Amino acid sequence: MIETRRLSKTYGAVAALRDVTFAAAPGRVTGFLGLNGSGKTTTLRLLLGLARPTSGEALINGRRYRELRRPLREVGAVLEQGVAHPGLTGRGHLRTQAPLAGANGARVDQVLEYVGLGDAARTRTGEYSLGMRQRLAVATALLGEPPVLILDEPANGLDPAGVAWLRGLLRSHAEAGGTVLLSSHLLGELELLVDDVVIIADGEVRLAAPLAQLTGSPRLRVRGADLRTLYDAFTGYGGYIETDGSALFVEGLTAEQAGDIALAVQVPIYELTVETVSLEAIFFELAAAR
Amino acid sequence: MIAVLRSELNRTLMIRASWVSIAATIALGLTFGVYSADFWTLFAGIGAFGLAVLTTGQHYQHRTAMLLMLGEPRRWRLLAGQCVAAAVVATVTTALSGLTVADEAAQWRLTVAMTPLIAVMGVAVATVVRRPTWAMAGTVGWLLIAEGLLGKLRAPLPFSAYLNAATGDPKQLFIFAGWTVVALAGAAAMIRRDMLSH
Repeated sequence: MIETRRLSKTYGAVAALRDVTFAAAPGRVTGFLGLNGSGKTTTLRLLLGLARPTSGEALINGRRYRELRRPLREVGAVLEQGVAHPGLTGRGHLRTQAPLAGANGARVDQVLEYVGLGDAARTRTGEYSLGMRQRLAVATALLGEPPVLILDEPANGLDPAGVAWLRGLLRSHAEAGGTVLLSSHLLGELELLVDDVVIIADGEVRLAAPLAQLTGSPRLRVRGADLRTLYDAFTGYGGYIETDGSALFVEGLTAEQAGDIALAVQVPIYELTVETVSLEAIFFELAAAR
Repeated sequence: MIAVLRSELNRTLMIRASWVSIAATIALGLTFGVYSADFWTLFAGIGAFGLAVLTTGQHYQHRTAMLLMLGEPRRWRLLAGQCVAAAVVATVTTALSGLTVADEAAQWRLTVAMTPLIAVMGVAVATVVRRPTWAMAGTVGWLLIAEGLLGKLRAPLPFSAYLNAATGDPKQLFIFAGWTVVALAGAAAMIRRDMLSH
């Protein structure tokens, strides 16, 4: 469980975060969305005890990060495209991390295989591609087998296969009861992955809701020869209808029902499309509009 | 703290640049010791300080300090672990580099005994400055101008006190220890700063 309560952070005269309140629940993947400079990274740093809040609280499993007794066994973090000393091999990097995470050598080899770096274990991280560094960062986060994962732009630098891999990994982590909070601006990828969405803009939370509730039920766009007759017929069958004069926007009916109704009232249909509200549309409405 | 110590020692042994620096420090120390025990003491002090600055400063340079802070979020314990690790590495290095000054046994013992303090000072300076190059350049500048040119290595300043303590004035040890405490207090205050994005 991750929670922030009225979290604020000020740098000099600049308010980077204002009263940020949200939660990420176990068993769910929470997407933390915002444009660059919106306060995503600052929030994650406050959660991880890397910076101190000006006011408010950032809690993991009910405690501040500094109060966690064995932090790397409770929380795994992926930050800044994977930090590692360039002179260390992938395995060497994890072996320096292992004492901190309470992990042994066998666990190091296990996570290297798990993230697909088994063959690159003896290569120095300075020679890693961005995608490999990101995989190493995920391995570092998983080393202590933590139930909570916090990831800052984890898909950066991954190729499409890598993104699919990460999606599978995070979904199965959540399905096993883990808590996943990840920030991203790759909205298309998030839509396939997250259960809950938190949108932040200018240091303030603009929205926090389950994705299913946001995108809602799909609506139909219908064009036909006689909109008046269609309107009355759809309404009679319990549809909720809006119109812009050239098309009807129907909620509460399926495409099959709408087609059957139109046939029954003998009105030719020119267009019948199912529209879903995309996360991207919501995001730009809330985050990009100033 | 023990976890940080183990992590730091693992790291020192695995990073080639670290053990090359250690080996070079030992080789140079052995060479200087043949010519002058005093010069060896000066060099061993700078070497121990430099190794400590390097190992601590690298964490900030490569951002891996974040990983340490995630593993040990209580920053004073983190600092303590880094100090002990640097002291162990520096003391072993200095002891080995001084094998050629064996006939000056008292000086060898004093120098080796003070090495943990000078390593702690190196960790403290790197923690405050957070950039190894600036920390080393600043220290060399300080050593040459403040302690050498102005103080003639006689003023009650850190490196002068270290040198004078090792070469026959044990009372200077307290002055040197005092400076180490000052540096450590500064580091303890400054390590609590935020780790921001770069």
